[in-house]
Amino acid sequence: MVGISWRTAPVAVREKLAFREEELTSTLKRLTAQLPVAEALLVSTCNRVEVYGVAKPGHQAAGAVRSFLAEQRGLRPADVADVIYDHTGGAAVRHVFKVASALDSLVLGEAQILGQLKDAYGVAGGAGTSGPVLGRCLERAFGVAKRVRTETAIARGSANVSTVAVDLAARVFGSLAGKSVLVVGAGKMSTLAARHLHAHGATHIVVTNRSPEKADRLAAEIDGIAKPWADLEALLVDADVVISSTGAREPILTRKMFKSVMKARKWRSIVLIDIAVPRDVESDVNELDGVYVYDIDDLEKIVAANLADRAKAAEQAERIVEHEAGQFEHWMRSQGVVPTIRALREKFAHVAESELHKTLDILGRREHTPAQQREAIQRLVHLVVNKLLHQPTAALREAPPDEATLRAQVLCDLFGLEPAENEREPEPAPPSAVAESGSPERNPPT
Amino acid sequence: MTDHPERLLSVAPSPAFWAAIVLYTAASAMLLVVLAGQTRFRAAAVWLVALALIAHGTDIGWRGTQHVHPAQSVREAIGFLSFIITAGYLLASTRYRLTLAGVVVMPVSLILLVLARLTPEGEATDLSSLGRIHISLATLGVGVFALASALSAIYLIEDRALKRKKFDTAAFKDKGAPLDALDKLSHRLIWAGFPIFTVALVLGAIWVSKLGESLDRLEYPLAGVTWISYAILLVMRQVYGWRGRKAARLTLVGFAAALGVLALYLIRRMVA
Repeated sequence: MVGISWRTAPVAVREKLAFREEELTSTLKRLTAQLPVAEALLVSTCNRVEVYGVAKPGHQAAGAVRSFLAEQRGLRPADVADVIYDHTGGAAVRHVFKVASALDSLVLGEAQILGQLKDAYGVAGGAGTSGPVLGRCLERAFGVAKRVRTETAIARGSANVSTVAVDLAARVFGSLAGKSVLVVGAGKMSTLAARHLHAHGATHIVVTNRSPEKADRLAAEIDGIAKPWADLEALLVDADVVISSTGAREPILTRKMFKSVMKARKWRSIVLIDIAVPRDVESDVNELDGVYVYDIDDLEKIVAANLADRAKAAEQAERIVEHEAGQFEHWMRSQGVVPTIRALREKFAHVAESELHKTLDILGRREHTPAQQREAIQRLVHLVVNKLLHQPTAALREAPPDEATLRAQVLCDLFGLEPAENEREPEPAPPSAVAESGSPERNPPT
Repeated sequence: MTDHPERLLSVAPSPAFWAAIVLYTAASAMLLVVLAGQTRFRAAAVWLVALALIAHGTDIGWRGTQHVHPAQSVREAIGFLSFIITAGYLLASTRYRLTLAGVVVMPVSLILLVLARLTPEGEATDLSSLGRIHISLATLGVGVFALASALSAIYLIEDRALKRKKFDTAAFKDKGAPLDALDKLSHRLIWAGFPIFTVALVLGAIWVSKLGESLDRLEYPLAGVTWISYAILLVMRQVYGWRGRKAARLTLVGFAAALGVLALYLIRRMVA
């Protein structure tokens, strides 16, 4: 794998190297056409641009991909050499697993990267640049990510202020289904929080603001209803979660107001999320029965605590990644040999079969004496042996001098030969076709 | 059974009882482990609770075959009470995550069971069927109130944590049940337990007056406190919408009085 991420490059560099969605397919096609890369995937998010690939047998592609990435964006490879990193073999697999599990994310355990990776995998599939090794690696990575999410606390607890509001409301109400949200003031943060609550099942979103135009605009934006500011108290009676972010100098949600509001609510619980500075909710409102007030400091403290928990869980997650990566490497090693063995067996069986058929044909055509039959069988065995040995012998003879010794050595190992000195020439059977036909050592993904 | 009072006294705990003791202890420990953050054992903990309940039920059934009625004495009734509490908890925990409640409820059930089986038996009293029905219903009612109180206690703990913004407390380690759910469930339990308890109280009064015993025992006003607490609770919730902290506190007051009644019975029995 080759790439850059928030760890190595500031956003100013990342944005230069980023790819737009519609560029991905063509870039992948160019990458596999121009470089010795058999399989490739390109993931480009705001925090990382990375290529996962499998080099063609016998090639090292990392350096070429580095240059390729820079050149695609009109940069000189030397300029970004410091921020681009690459991993090969087991380290690359570990990296992919970590990225999928959000262990390499800016916000540990965030959920988006997995989706982005799945999308990137889909794009590579569409571009035809995904293959068996990459496919297996990514599928495994998704599995690891799932394990990490379920077995560790990495994704537990909200990691940003606007989702903390959802958590808090859930602590009081359980499910948010059917709950109503009141947005007081039209700040950006309240918009985000209201969206999150809506996404988690809150059905009614009511917006109120001193200037009705702003309320209308925000309401339209988040699928809510705008209500006049004068109705504030009545709106509070009907709301379950209130998100407040006005620019008022003085608290607008006072204890006095809430005393009557709570009575009218028959003390049904209400959660107030006050993200305004200065605060909108009087601090002693929290003391009232059934009112739970959280200001921006509270929310940020929760986020900090959650992130600390995630960091702890990350250690456990790393162990899962380590274990799974080990298994994957094991699979890769076995994969390198399996197709070769299969091809070898098929080839031998094919040769033997076709010669046998020819001989049986000849024997079946007319009467033969037993002596003739024996001769036919002897001929058959010779033919099969010769045919099987033809290609290896040729490959050994025609090999360049430096390679010839190696091939001969491999053959001796494979067939348990002990050639006499200076007598290598008549020695039969150098089937180095074995080593060539099936690419025994598949190159690990880069 | 009144023909064989000596057999009543000699009923030894069954093997199922010892199994129940082990399982109750295991379930309590497992719930603690879950509460400490090992949430993958949650299902195991619930299974242990279920197994403890089965063992406990087997023990009660076995005693039945030895002619020991689960409501023939306060001592037996306490064992039965523990059974009801565990059953109720098991039922509720299939719907909500009540790990914290379990950490409270399971040891309490265990203690009640041990108390019921291993304390010295007082004199066997000859109970009329009236007395037996009274004890059965009272036990059932108090068992239901016990569960409601456990939920109310959790409510108060969670409410406090939420108000003080302390999210690392034990109450939230295993993502406790939401406040509203605790409040509702506790209220429903009181709704269910109240009529049962009322009938038990009336039958008890009739029984006592039939026996001709004096009414100046401390148990009777205490039982009255329980009844009045829950009556107030139900009325105020219906009429004024009382809920949350206020309701939870009153639930605990009512249950404390009921526990007082049980304790007094036991002490009296032991002294006698």
